[in-house]
Amino acid sequence: MDFNLSEEQEALQEMARGFLSERWPAERVRELLDARPVLIDDDVWKEIVEMGWLGVAASEEAGGIGGDVMTAAVLCQEAGRGVLPGPFQSSLVAAIAIERSGDKDLCSGLLPGLIEGKRRVSVAIEEPGGLYGPDAVRTEARAAGEDWLLTGNKILVPEGNEAEHLLVAARTPDGLGLVRVAADAEGATTTRMDRMDGQSCAALVFEDAKAEAGALLGGADRGEALLREVYDIWTALVAADLLGSAEASLELTRSYATERVQFGRPIGSFQAVSHRLADTLVDVEIGRSLLYGACLALDEGRDNAAPLVSAAKAWLSETAVAAAEAALQIHGGVGFTWEYDVHLHLRRSRCNAALLGDADHHRDRVAAYMEQSWVPLVKA
Amino acid sequence: MDLRFSAEDEAYRQRLRDWLKENLGAATGAGGSANAAMKRAEEGSGGKSDPLAGARAWPRKLQEAGYVGLAWPKKYGGQEASFTQQVICADEMARARTPPLINTIGLSIIGPTLVQHGTEEQKQRFLPRILRADDLWCQGFSEPEAGSDLASLRCRAELDGDEFVVNGQKVWTSLAFLSDWMFLLVRTDPDAPKREGISYLLLDMKTPGITVRPLRNAAGGQHFSEVFLDGVRIPRENLVGELNGGWSIARSSLDHERSGLSGVVALEETLGRLWRMAGKVQRGDAEALGDQATSRALAQHWIEIEGLRHLGYRTLSDQIAGKPPGAGASVGKLFASELRQEMTRTALRVEGPLGPVAKRSPHVVDRGRWHAAYFDALAHSIGGGTSEIMRNVIAEKVLGLPHAKDD
Repeated sequence: MDFNLSEEQEALQEMARGFLSERWPAERVRELLDARPVLIDDDVWKEIVEMGWLGVAASEEAGGIGGDVMTAAVLCQEAGRGVLPGPFQSSLVAAIAIERSGDKDLCSGLLPGLIEGKRRVSVAIEEPGGLYGPDAVRTEARAAGEDWLLTGNKILVPEGNEAEHLLVAARTPDGLGLVRVAADAEGATTTRMDRMDGQSCAALVFEDAKAEAGALLGGADRGEALLREVYDIWTALVAADLLGSAEASLELTRSYATERVQFGRPIGSFQAVSHRLADTLVDVEIGRSLLYGACLALDEGRDNAAPLVSAAKAWLSETAVAAAEAALQIHGGVGFTWEYDVHLHLRRSRCNAALLGDADHHRDRVAAYMEQSWVPLVKA
Repeated sequence: MDLRFSAEDEAYRQRLRDWLKENLGAATGAGGSANAAMKRAEEGSGGKSDPLAGARAWPRKLQEAGYVGLAWPKKYGGQEASFTQQVICADEMARARTPPLINTIGLSIIGPTLVQHGTEEQKQRFLPRILRADDLWCQGFSEPEAGSDLASLRCRAELDGDEFVVNGQKVWTSLAFLSDWMFLLVRTDPDAPKREGISYLLLDMKTPGITVRPLRNAAGGQHFSEVFLDGVRIPRENLVGELNGGWSIARSSLDHERSGLSGVVALEETLGRLWRMAGKVQRGDAEALGDQATSRALAQHWIEIEGLRHLGYRTLSDQIAGKPPGAGASVGKLFASELRQEMTRTALRVEGPLGPVAKRSPHVVDRGRWHAAYFDALAHSIGGGTSEIMRNVIAEKVLGLPHAKDD
C-alpha cells in the first residue's frame, strides 16, 4: 500500500517546477496575452523536448521514458501551476493516442518525430452543439474505396492551427473512432479560435476531407475503445492541469494574506479570510486524492477508471475556478489588476473547467455509471 | 503507486472476515439487544441487574479474539498490530456493520492517552478493564464557559495533602450517567497563562460530590449530561502526566485520529440507502432518481466519498511510511462531517413533500430514518472540534496563516 507519488515522480515534479519558474515566468504569459496566441517560445520548447516531457508516457522504443498516466499528470499539474501553454499538453495527448493505437507505421514514424518536437499533431474531439465527449460526436467518416471521407465540425482543438496532423473523433460505420487527417487535406478548413487564457485553438470544418487508408486509429475493432481511452486520459490530464492552477491560486493567496496588513493585522488572521482559504485547501486535497485515484485506475485498467476520471474532472473544474475566484477576492483591488498573476490562473482554470466536459457533464457520467454498474453497500 | 495490501495483511483480513462471519450473527442478534440495553440504560429503566450486560457482550467477544486495543502494548492486553492491520480491522468492522461499542470512548481516547502518558500503575489498572468493557469512560472537557475555547476552562482542583479537591461543572458529557470513570481537565494553577495551569485527572464516578443531570438533545434523545462537581476528592495518583501539564496531553488525545477510512464505509452505506430511497420516492409520474437534479446530487456525493476514500489512502500511506500526519486528519474530519450533513440534506430534499412526515405516521418515507440521520449529522460538525475550529487548525497548522488572536 503506497498511494503517494514515487520518489521518481516527486523528483520529476520538483525538476519541472524549478524549470518552469526559471524559464517560463508568468510575465511572459502576460506579454503573449496581448500579442496572442499564447504559445511556448521556441527556445523553451526546445528545452522541454530535450528533457523528454513529450515522451513521458511513451515507451522507450518510441523514444519515451516509459512513464504512466500518473507521471504524465505530474507534468500537466506543473504546467497548470506554471501557466505553461500549448502545444505541450496536446502533443503529450497525441503521443499517447498514437502509441496506444498500436499502429506500427505511426509508432515508428510520426511518434518519434512528435516526441522530438519536430512534428505537430493535435486531437479533435469536441463539436458545436453544446454537448461534450465522445457520445456527442456527429462528425462522420465514411469509406470511399480504400480511403476515408470526413464530414463535420470540430471546435476548441488545441493548437489546431499549428498542427500538421489531426486525430479527429468521428462516427464510422463500425462505431466511433479517431481518424488521422492531414491539416492541409482538401476539404479541411481551419479557423483561429483563441481561448480566454490566450491559448491557441482552432475550429475545424471538414467537407469530405480525405484521409488515407488505415487512418482509423486502432482499426474497426479497437477504434471506439481507443477513442474512449484517449478521452479519459486527456480528461485526467486536464484535471491535473486544474489541480496545478488551484494550487497556484491557493499559494499566491496564502502568501498575500500572510503579508498584507489591514486594521493593524495580517488579513490572514481574520477568519473571513482564513476559513475561505482553509476550505480551498480541503477542496484541493480532495481533488488531488481524486486525481491520483483516477490516474492509478487508468494505469491499472480498472473498471471504475472512467467514473473516477469524471470525479476528478468534475471536482477540480469547480475547485480550481473557486480557488482563483477566492484569490481574486482576497487580493482585493490588486487582485483585479493586470500585473498580478491571479487572473492568469482564473482564465486558465475557467477554460479548462469547460474543456472536455464541465462539472455537470462529468456528474452525469458518474450518475450513468451508478445506474449501470455501481453496487450500493445496502441491500435493496 | 500501489493500492494492494501485502499477502500477510490480506491473510489477516481473511481471518477477520471468517471470524466475523462466525461470530457476528450471534452478536447482531444480541446487537439489537445491545442497542436496546444501551437505550434502556440511557432512559434509566435498566432495573437492578447490569442493564449493560448485553452491550458489554460484543466488546468482550472482540477482546477475547484480539480485535480491540490493536495498537496497544501486549503487556496491557493489546495486540501491537501494524498500522495497516488497524486500518483493515476498522474497515472490515465497518463493512460488516458490527454493532457500536459501548466502550468506544475508552478504546479511542483515554486508552491511547494512558498508553502514551499514563504511569505504569495507571496502565495496569485501567487498560485491561477498558478492553473488556468492565469500565466505561466519559470525557470531562467542555464547560459552560469553555467550549471551542477549551483552554478557558474553570473547573478548579486544589491539592489538599495527597488529594485534589475539585469544584466546578462539566457539560456535553456523553454517556456520563452510564460511566464508571471520567477523564477530565481541571485548572490547577489559576495564575499561570491559561494553557499552563491545566491538569489531566481520572475520576471514579462513584466518588461523593458528583451530580449527573442528563440533558435532552435537540433530536429528543438523552446522550449527554451536565456533571456538577462539588468538593470531589481525587487521589493524586490519578493525575495523568505532570501537574499543570494537562493541556498538551488533551491535545494529543484529540490527535488519536485514524486515516478515516472506516468513516468512508459508513458514508458509502448512507449513499446506498439514499440511492435506494430515491429510486422509490415518487416524483410526478416517475421516481425521484429519474430527475437530473437528484441524479447529479447523488453523483456529487459519490464523487465526494471517493475523494475522502482516496484522501484516506494517502493518509494511510504516509502513516505506513512513517511520515508525520499531514493535512489528512483535520481535512478529513472537516470534509467528512460536512459531507455527512450535506447527504442528509439531499435525502430530505429527495423525500419531497413527504419529507417532514414523522416516524410511525402513515405515509412516512423510509421509516423516517433521515430525520434522525439529519440531526445526528448536525451534531458531527460540533462534537470533537467544531468545523470552525477545524478551519482554524487548517489555516494555522497547514497553511501557516497567522493566528486569529494573540493571547
